[in-house]
Amino acid sequence: MATKGRKRIGGKSPVLYFILPALILVGVVLVYPILYAIGISFFNWPLVDEASRGFIGISNYVSIFQDAEFWNSLFLQMGFIFIAIPIELIIGFFVAILLNREFKGVGLIRSLLLLPIFVLPVLSGLTWRLMLQPGYGAISFLLTTLGFPETALLANPGTAYAAVIIQDIWRMWPFMFMFIYSGLINIPNSLIEAANLDGARFWDKVIKIIIPLLRPTITTALLLRLIDALRIFSEVFVMTGGGPGNSTTLLSLYIHKQAFRYFNIGYASAMGVVLIIISLIIANFLVRRNMEY
Amino acid sequence: MKKRNFKKNFLIILSIIILIIELFPIAIIIMNSFKRDIDIWSANPFSFKPTLDSYKKIFQRNDVLLGIRNSLIVSILSTSFSLIVGSMASYAIARFKFRYSKALSYSFLISRMIPQISLSIPLFMMFRSLGLTDTLIALIFAHMSFNIPYIIWVLLPFFSSVPLEYEEAALVDGCNRKMVFWRIFLPLVRPGLVVAAVFAFIMSWNEFLYALVLTSSQAKTAPVVINGFMGQYAPQWGQLAAAGTFMLIPIFVITLAFQRFLIGGISGGIKG
Repeated sequence: MATKGRKRIGGKSPVLYFILPALILVGVVLVYPILYAIGISFFNWPLVDEASRGFIGISNYVSIFQDAEFWNSLFLQMGFIFIAIPIELIIGFFVAILLNREFKGVGLIRSLLLLPIFVLPVLSGLTWRLMLQPGYGAISFLLTTLGFPETALLANPGTAYAAVIIQDIWRMWPFMFMFIYSGLINIPNSLIEAANLDGARFWDKVIKIIIPLLRPTITTALLLRLIDALRIFSEVFVMTGGGPGNSTTLLSLYIHKQAFRYFNIGYASAMGVVLIIISLIIANFLVRRNMEY
Repeated sequence: MKKRNFKKNFLIILSIIILIIELFPIAIIIMNSFKRDIDIWSANPFSFKPTLDSYKKIFQRNDVLLGIRNSLIVSILSTSFSLIVGSMASYAIARFKFRYSKALSYSFLISRMIPQISLSIPLFMMFRSLGLTDTLIALIFAHMSFNIPYIIWVLLPFFSSVPLEYEEAALVDGCNRKMVFWRIFLPLVRPGLVVAAVFAFIMSWNEFLYALVLTSSQAKTAPVVINGFMGQYAPQWGQLAAAGTFMLIPIFVITLAFQRFLIGGISGGIKG
């Protein structure tokens, strides 16, 4: 850390010159909108019917707790998080171990596996929607070829919810793989070789060496995934639109529906504020572990 | 010996199978971009004669061209502005000790975690009252809400790793801090700037929610246009796939070219 450029009284300090542009812009596009959302969450604020606008205190927040649809979307969100992320972690972990060896073309395989992470979320959702179309989708075709009965998988609440989760697993296990692989290559070979000499079996090495050494890496990856999975929107929105019924209306989709379909701006903002608070609680764990600057 | 070879070959084959399964959906979208719609609707998705029909169609459509143009403008401008102010702020955090610097860098990092849906409502109201709905300006500003904090954090490790001697030498030579930053320091951290710019560009390029909420016709970006191909009654899968494949080109080029930086880029300054 340099200690040059102490803050001087009078505002001509170089620190201000460097930090002010970012502060102003972030203030305009981030801080002010958050304050705006908090403010408006205490109002009944239908977008069109201006006459019925008014301050209603914490009524919106009380309504959230009495709103069965909100609880449904929170429940679906929790299910999504607790099913998708552990599976992503397990697949990513074992593929990282599998590909932590050298053979011809392994570098290319490792690179190509990362492509799904960066595919446009919209395109990912729509591609899965295409593949699951009854009669002509690729996955439907493969399933019927294997002898399964022809069904519209996205038209059934249970299978639609499963499809949304599988779509996320497809996109994001490579993210886990990438983190865990980058941690694996930093484990000194001597450790593994010593374990091999002691006649350690595969599972011994996993449990006694790899998991303890990679714990910080895995925790960081999990927290990053958790924050992202909590606010997932685009993929699900284009894949199912939250349907059939409310079966895939996750938190962000429900807030979007209240805000931009029913135009309950105040109520939607209150839910948005609740989502910010949940995210920041998780983010706080993540950041505290990583503050080194 | 034989047993070892068998095990090795088995693991290689297993790796290839995993890769094929993982790339299957991407192959599907690219494959469908070379089909006629009539072939997409047919029972067997894997037999068809490749054509460029869908590509011809999308490049004759004004909405697709406009969407791609808007996506480019928003991604490039939002990334550029964010890179300028973000690198300045990152430099301040990396090089100066000042009151609240810890709190400030903490706030910048944590602000990346704010859910987009929560911000989309106040941003929509703000731009509506300013008369800026359906403009690229609104989108460029909205994208800065995630690009600036992201860039500040991606750059920090790059900035902190530069030895102080360069700047100190320049300061002794009578340059002031501002000149040192623009002329001496930034050229030194060019690799970091490229990584930050590339990932900020991808985030803007892929962004859908703000574009959905803040645009209606003139400022639609490509992802919104692509979603529009679902239509009311019959989805135009061929054109959707062609436009989607086209949008994937920069993503794939960048992902494969920036292998070494993916982890740093994706975690944005958060270390494992």
